[in-house]
Amino acid sequence: MDRKKSDRFYFWLFLAPALFGFVLVVIIPFIMGLYYSMTDWTAIAGETANWVGLENYKDMFTSIKFQYSFVRTFSFTLFSVITINGLALLFAFLVTRGIKFESFFRAGFFVPNLIGGLVLGYIWQFIFKSVVPSIGTLLNIPALEEVLILASPNLAFMGLIMAFTWQYAGYIMMIYIAALLNVPQELLEAADIDGATVWQKFKSITAPLIAQAFTITSFLTLVNAFKQYDIIVALTSGGPADIYKDEIVNSTELLAVNIYNTAFKYNDMAQGQARAIIFFLVLTVVSMAQVYFNKKREVEM
Amino acid sequence: MKKILALLLISMLVMVAFVGCGGEEVEEPTLDGDTTEEEAVEEEETEEEEAVAEDATEIVIYQNKVEIHEQLSAFAQHYTDETGVKVTVKTAGGDTPYAENLKAEFQSDRQPDIFVIEGMGGYNTWESKLTPMADQEWMDLTDLEFTVEGETYGFPVAVEAWGMAYNTAMLEEAGVDPAELTSQEAYKEAFETIDGMKEELGIDSVVAMAAGPDMTWVTGLHNFNGYLSAGLPYGDTTVLDKLNNGEADMDRLTEYADWVEILFDYADPTVLQTGNYDAQVGQFGTEKAAFIHQGNWIDPWLESNGVDFEMGFAPHASVAGEHDAIFIGAPSFYVINNESENQQAVQDFFNYMATEEAGHEYMVNEANMVPAFKNVELKPKTPLSAAVTDWLAKEDGAYTWLQNDMPDGFGMGTLGPIYGLYASDGIDKAQFIDQVKRAIESIE
Repeated sequence: MDRKKSDRFYFWLFLAPALFGFVLVVIIPFIMGLYYSMTDWTAIAGETANWVGLENYKDMFTSIKFQYSFVRTFSFTLFSVITINGLALLFAFLVTRGIKFESFFRAGFFVPNLIGGLVLGYIWQFIFKSVVPSIGTLLNIPALEEVLILASPNLAFMGLIMAFTWQYAGYIMMIYIAALLNVPQELLEAADIDGATVWQKFKSITAPLIAQAFTITSFLTLVNAFKQYDIIVALTSGGPADIYKDEIVNSTELLAVNIYNTAFKYNDMAQGQARAIIFFLVLTVVSMAQVYFNKKREVEM
Repeated sequence: MKKILALLLISMLVMVAFVGCGGEEVEEPTLDGDTTEEEAVEEEETEEEEAVAEDATEIVIYQNKVEIHEQLSAFAQHYTDETGVKVTVKTAGGDTPYAENLKAEFQSDRQPDIFVIEGMGGYNTWESKLTPMADQEWMDLTDLEFTVEGETYGFPVAVEAWGMAYNTAMLEEAGVDPAELTSQEAYKEAFETIDGMKEELGIDSVVAMAAGPDMTWVTGLHNFNGYLSAGLPYGDTTVLDKLNNGEADMDRLTEYADWVEILFDYADPTVLQTGNYDAQVGQFGTEKAAFIHQGNWIDPWLESNGVDFEMGFAPHASVAGEHDAIFIGAPSFYVINNESENQQAVQDFFNYMATEEAGHEYMVNEANMVPAFKNVELKPKTPLSAAVTDWLAKEDGAYTWLQNDMPDGFGMGTLGPIYGLYASDGIDKAQFIDQVKRAIESIE
């Protein structure tokens, strides 16, 4: 074969194993899932799945618990993206100023990401249940001593955001560090000479140059926040109950938890699958929109 | 040369990938609480392991009690020594949910011969895979086998019961006679008395009760079972049938809400709203509460934590009227896979467990279970289990377990949060009743 053909052949040869695995484990189950979401399947051996068309989808949109879950997931994502990126950027700045023990801090901020979500949830559960009251007793603040963070819908939500931020800030910080180190020093020095303040330097020089990092980090935090499951299960088990539109809902039951419960707790597999498909579609649309808008603002160096 | 090396490395990589993906037949249990990740990893089987000798029959049991895996395996080994039939015990439970793994087991190469179902819900799910059993020796020895329309499908694993467990010494000190605790009025009086003596007795609250998001089984399943069967004759399912048709018995529900109010009012707010299993049982075990709303399954916890005070069971006064029974039932049953090739061997195994001394020894002393069979003379060593045998022996001392016959997820998923909100004062009693009524009416 001539050069081009042989190149193409080797290209596909090397891609083949990964592609095979991907198709088998991701694409095929997805298509099967699409089929099952339009039946009344319950995953029990020996039972046949009957076609019901779009009924599962209709049920899903009229379910108040699902709507609530949606709203909660969106607000959780919004808050998490802001706090994680803000904190990560702050840490990245601190750690690139040339202070002492820089590497120690970098490693220290990153370590929480290595702990799995489940263990992290239990750690924070312990903190909220035992450590916070103890601090209250120590400092003599009755409010801290008696607050039951995991029993109040909003406080539990906040606690969840805190735990999630603690887990991801270090990882995102790493990306920002790499981006910050790529900002050419000459530009900053030139701006200094021209008398720019720290904020002006950041806004006009640093920010546009790390815009590519923004795209990546926003994408990562958005997608990960949307998909959160294990921290929630470990920390709040779906959360303290709350009332929404006159129905009792679980205040920290985000979409992934809701889907899992529908499928396995209530044994309504087809409904769970339908919700998962919608979840996939929404996440795809949102993240693609985010990447599109962010890419438009990137500056080529 | 380079090409050959590259080719060699690639083929090694591919082989490693395939070998790594093939699993082994694993018989280890997954300990709950410790392992966090892996659910289905340990249960993978491959074609290779299927080399089971044709003449030696083998029974595979797939069960869900992690705490007795070792004891059951030892008993299985004893059975194999006695009869030559090989019995393999596989376990999944605790943090690795049994129900989901069971579904995976059926898709694998070696389906279990014996598996576990829990009541009507499990029966409805697995109906197509069950074999009815008839005229077996063990069936004459118990009333608690699982039957549907006259056909017996399940072998009762153990008897469990719950009621209001109390600290005998503490009640004596407070001047409360447990034999008198038979109605809501009597309980209110007793609770008030004990509540007034909190300092002297050294307790945080009268009752150790939990209603948080991870304890919804205590409220939504067990406590709610009082609405379903308290005060009714054993086996009476009228209220349950109404519930499954979406109808709530309002009078009964209102009386029941009074009982929930009593329990919640006299519970410690922290344990009630955010306490987990350890917190709740711990409160009772460290004598910071006089009563606990739990069952005899807390015995192992108490034993391993060195709790040794005397305790007993008092009835729940779930609705109005006099109560003289606690909720006794068999929570889970061994059932036979109708596609199993060793059905006779399984029946023999069941009979052996129920009739032979070794079986009794295993059930009572090794696994610390309360056996469902009347011919067992051994008495459990642990206090609450011993109390259960007393109530079991009493005439009409049992109310039915019906909480597992409600629709899937209803008790823990739908009712649980309602209790949670009531516990944190998000709703008052009237709204609680209303919400439960609406939840029942949404069942179709």
